[in-house]
Amino acid sequence: MSEQVVPIDVSQPKQRQPLLRRRYALEVRQQMAWYWQALILAAALAVGLAISALILIAAGVPGGELLNEFVIMTVFDAQSLQAVLFQASPMILVGLAGCMAFRARFWNLGLDGQMIWGAIGATAIVLFEVGPPALRLPLMLLTAAVCGALWALTPIVLKLRLQVSEIISTLMLNYLASYFLLHLLYGSWKDPRDSFPYSPPFQSFERLPEFFHGYSAGIPLAVVIAVFALWLIGFSRAGLYLRFVDANPKVADAVGVPLRKTILATVLLSGAMAGIAGFVITSGQEGRLTQSFYQGYGFSGILIAFLARNNPIAALVVALLIATLFVAGRSLQVFYQIPFSMVQLIQAILVICVASSDFFIRHRLRRVQGGES
Amino acid sequence: MDLIASWLGNTPDFAVPFALAALGLIITERAGVLSLGAEGLMLVGALAGIGAQLAYGSAELSLLIAMLSASVVSILFAIMVVLLRINQVIAGLSLVFFCQGLTGLLGTLWGWTNRPVSGMSSISLWPLSELPLIGKVFVQNPVVYLTPLIFLAVVWFLTRSGTGLRLRAVGENPQAADSVGIPVLWYRVAAILAGAALIGLAGGYLSVLSTKLWIADMTGGRGWIAIALVIFARWYPWRALMGALLFGCVEALIPQLAAAGIRLPQYFILMTPYAVTLGVMIWVAASKRAGGEQPGALGIPFVREERR
Amino acid sequence: MSKHNAIQLVGIEKSFDGFKALSHANFTAKWGEVHALLGENGAGKSSLMNIAAGLYAPEAGSLLIDDNEVRLSGPRAASEHRIGMVHQHFKLVRPFTVAENILLGLRNAGAGGFRTRLRKLEREIVAKAEQLGFAVDPRKPAAALSVAEQQRVEILKVLLAGARILILDEPTAVLTDQEAERLLTTVHAFARSGAAVILVTHKMADVIRYADQVTVMRAGRTVQTLDPRSISADELVRLTVGESAPAGEYQAGSRGEERLAVKDLRSVASAGERGMLAGVNLRLHAGEIYGLAGVGGNGQSELANALMGLPGATEGEIELIGVGDLRSASTERRRELGIAAIPADRYGAALAADLSIIDNFCIGQIHSGRYGAFWRLKRSQMETDVAEAIRTFDVQGVRSLRQKAALLSGGNAQKLVIAREFSRKVKLVFAHSPSRGLDVRAAQAVHTRLRAARDAGAAVLLISEDLDEVLTLADRIGVMNSGRIVAEFDRPADRQAIGKAMVDHV
Repeated sequence: MSEQVVPIDVSQPKQRQPLLRRRYALEVRQQMAWYWQALILAAALAVGLAISALILIAAGVPGGELLNEFVIMTVFDAQSLQAVLFQASPMILVGLAGCMAFRARFWNLGLDGQMIWGAIGATAIVLFEVGPPALRLPLMLLTAAVCGALWALTPIVLKLRLQVSEIISTLMLNYLASYFLLHLLYGSWKDPRDSFPYSPPFQSFERLPEFFHGYSAGIPLAVVIAVFALWLIGFSRAGLYLRFVDANPKVADAVGVPLRKTILATVLLSGAMAGIAGFVITSGQEGRLTQSFYQGYGFSGILIAFLARNNPIAALVVALLIATLFVAGRSLQVFYQIPFSMVQLIQAILVICVASSDFFIRHRLRRVQGGES
Repeated sequence: MDLIASWLGNTPDFAVPFALAALGLIITERAGVLSLGAEGLMLVGALAGIGAQLAYGSAELSLLIAMLSASVVSILFAIMVVLLRINQVIAGLSLVFFCQGLTGLLGTLWGWTNRPVSGMSSISLWPLSELPLIGKVFVQNPVVYLTPLIFLAVVWFLTRSGTGLRLRAVGENPQAADSVGIPVLWYRVAAILAGAALIGLAGGYLSVLSTKLWIADMTGGRGWIAIALVIFARWYPWRALMGALLFGCVEALIPQLAAAGIRLPQYFILMTPYAVTLGVMIWVAASKRAGGEQPGALGIPFVREERR
Repeated sequence: MSKHNAIQLVGIEKSFDGFKALSHANFTAKWGEVHALLGENGAGKSSLMNIAAGLYAPEAGSLLIDDNEVRLSGPRAASEHRIGMVHQHFKLVRPFTVAENILLGLRNAGAGGFRTRLRKLEREIVAKAEQLGFAVDPRKPAAALSVAEQQRVEILKVLLAGARILILDEPTAVLTDQEAERLLTTVHAFARSGAAVILVTHKMADVIRYADQVTVMRAGRTVQTLDPRSISADELVRLTVGESAPAGEYQAGSRGEERLAVKDLRSVASAGERGMLAGVNLRLHAGEIYGLAGVGGNGQSELANALMGLPGATEGEIELIGVGDLRSASTERRRELGIAAIPADRYGAALAADLSIIDNFCIGQIHSGRYGAFWRLKRSQMETDVAEAIRTFDVQGVRSLRQKAALLSGGNAQKLVIAREFSRKVKLVFAHSPSRGLDVRAAQAVHTRLRAARDAGAAVLLISEDLDEVLTLADRIGVMNSGRIVAEFDRPADRQAIGKAMVDHV
């Protein structure tokens, strides 16, 4: 059997349009393999970190020191590792608070305010000496959670009842909470022994203990709450309800999801988590109520939730990263006089890069014929 | 009496940043782009204004540079929402955080913090400035007088020009605009840049003419309040101007109360603008007044071939 | 009458996210003729015409106007080649006036200030409308126009922009018979004046009465172009649907006790809008299908929403016999009561497009505790149930139970909805346009399920704008017109009388 000769058409070479004349059509992609998604996400993070590194170098950090400062000093140095983990526990909590709220399609920008109220609640237990010393800490934790949740109650009720945008209302409530905090700290709650705006220090039984040599109990607390969130989202009926609320509230309502109850409960839970974060910082890190303990956490919570795609376990990992960034940012501040705003800038760059990468996951670009000839 | 006179006299100065920022937001949002980045762009304008003022000493130039810088930074936002179609809430928030970080960093690195500048000298509108009680309202810097003119120009543009008509069409129904060949995306980019310029001007006004110095995060939520104002005004410029005057009154009252020696807890007084904003939002939502809906496609990215 | 080619589409290919919408489609329309493009929903008619209007760019193939090849960079270029399209979903800016809407479409608005141009255009609009035989108020906002008026504005918009090739996408779908007749007469005259009109439709009757030529499309391909008068209507149908599935025949059911009584149901008028429901009275019985016919937009959607518990305030009463008023019952409670809902807007009210098939199915029975108490989810039970339902209800195209519901075709998505709703004891079924957008086979599967539910003793309310569907299924037929049920018919029903009740002014 002889092979057939395939005639090759050489008379008409395949026409190619010059690049500028080609028209590209953008299409929405329904699904993408998870490994591609992971790859794109990793690439976006890498780009963000590279941009951040360039900015740091431009701001005067010697390029060679960057790796040393960020990776080696923070991860391989026992003391720094302690500092990172210490920093991580409230980070994880605000991150989880962000995850929960976003899952209910609620833009909770009020994490700051809820943290403040959590801290105020916990401090009130201390100052008014509620309960016996043995019960003091659990009581503080509980009060913080309740206060945080209550501060989240106003915006969610306003949203459900009157469709008031929670973006504005939660932010305004932050300002109210922060001025109320100042009112307390410059007023009746001021430490009488000096004139600085902070509360009297907590006693030892009002402070979060160490669960292991040098490691605060805030870390297991945060992990336990993360596991709780994971189970709630992934393995309970509430999780199924939340998936519908997140995917399409109209459909959720139509197929029998108790929409308002689900949203309300989830947002209150978010507020409670933020309140606990306030408690962890006040009782664990500062040992007293201070005027700016919350700064930087609200945004971090939103960022962690966004980068973690509202997944509690991913939030644990991202929170660790952000905590590292915070610790490194502080040492940059000390050693190179880089303002702490640098940390916020880097966070924003990471969000922008990751958000941008979403484009490639959601769309495909295809060349089509067209263009004016 | 004197207190009321100086309160009224200070009101326009406090109202202008709100008014200009709200107007910028209206332009952007009328094109269908949800613009949450105002707080950040105001900071950019404020820092750039102070920087230019410290370098060149001309307030006019500083305000121009404030506008320009905010526009340049808003290109980032335009890329995010128009080209990459990122969720407009996420994009707006990250823009705010980006600008807060950036301005905080640069303000400190370049040593612009807390360095007072001279601003612009006031112009008295004689004989109005001699009136009793309200005379001080007519002793203001030139930008205050310019603001109503800017409003007039924007209102004219939006309602009396073909380009304005197309801009609103893009915000109301981009599919319709696209089907008659209006370049939806370019209109949106232009609206973002133009809006940002006005928001930047609001920021520059705040630092160069009003407080006359730069402090990190000096806008203190005014960008967010401007967003609430736009909702309150149902995207109509004149109503936004009225709302800005209301907030100007509230803000101008704060120092007056302190000066009058009225003993109120000061931090509660400082809460007023935010509490008023919250109150206004609730009032607007509860009253559900007729007249003016939000732009039909506000916050919705445009993709032509979105199918299946 | 000149017989030169006006517009030609040759070998057009187009796909959306891997789905081939058009493959090697060819189409030619000549000057002076009304050319119908006939095909079922999803045959690719609109996609092909969107390419002709410059809205979509084809992947391959060419477009010729007056036998010259052109490339359209967008709708504006199409307009420059004097192509104008009236889309099925009107593209009007609602707060703008008629004149402002039309001004948007003009390439060259003429000299003078904005106001002057607008005034001049207003006069032109009135003149052009008169020439076409209807009246339009150019200063009325588009939001205040009826559907038929909006369509006229769309036509004026493209004609005043200078279009000579007029593409109308399903123009009669939203019109009453009288309005449709007027419209088609008008465009027919326009074509005779030397222009070209392309009529995209799935209605046989329109084609036979008004088209000079018809091109039949099926599954993304153009099947044949011919003179509609050269063959019989039956043959035309066969060309459109392919291997013709036999049309369903009416099968009687046996009526039982009363299940539901709707008493004087009215919409609560909100600011600036009058309520659509003006006192609906309706009784449903076990073991019967009640078909509610009517031209779209006469309150059917509002009624369906009220019955299914979707948003929309109403007064009056929806009494579930033996239970009480349903209006305050949550959707959750409705499920417990054995009410099944098949809404018209599949991805807006029935399925969450981004969630898995498993989630979409199991949400239907989650309240019963079948998948565990509140604190847990029995995954294996869920998977078993879904797998079984998919087999029973013949949902095809399921590669994995975890795939997004959005990846199902229209027919299979609807089967999934039905599987969820009917996988339990059902006493009452509300179905709103359940076979809209489905191919013949899928529609028949839906009909079979509705009949089965009836025969199992459920009361079924079928709200449909497709009179054939109502006639095939319903044991009793009501006609909805202007927010009320204006007539009821028992079997055998007189088609003419029903049609008259649908369009009569009340």
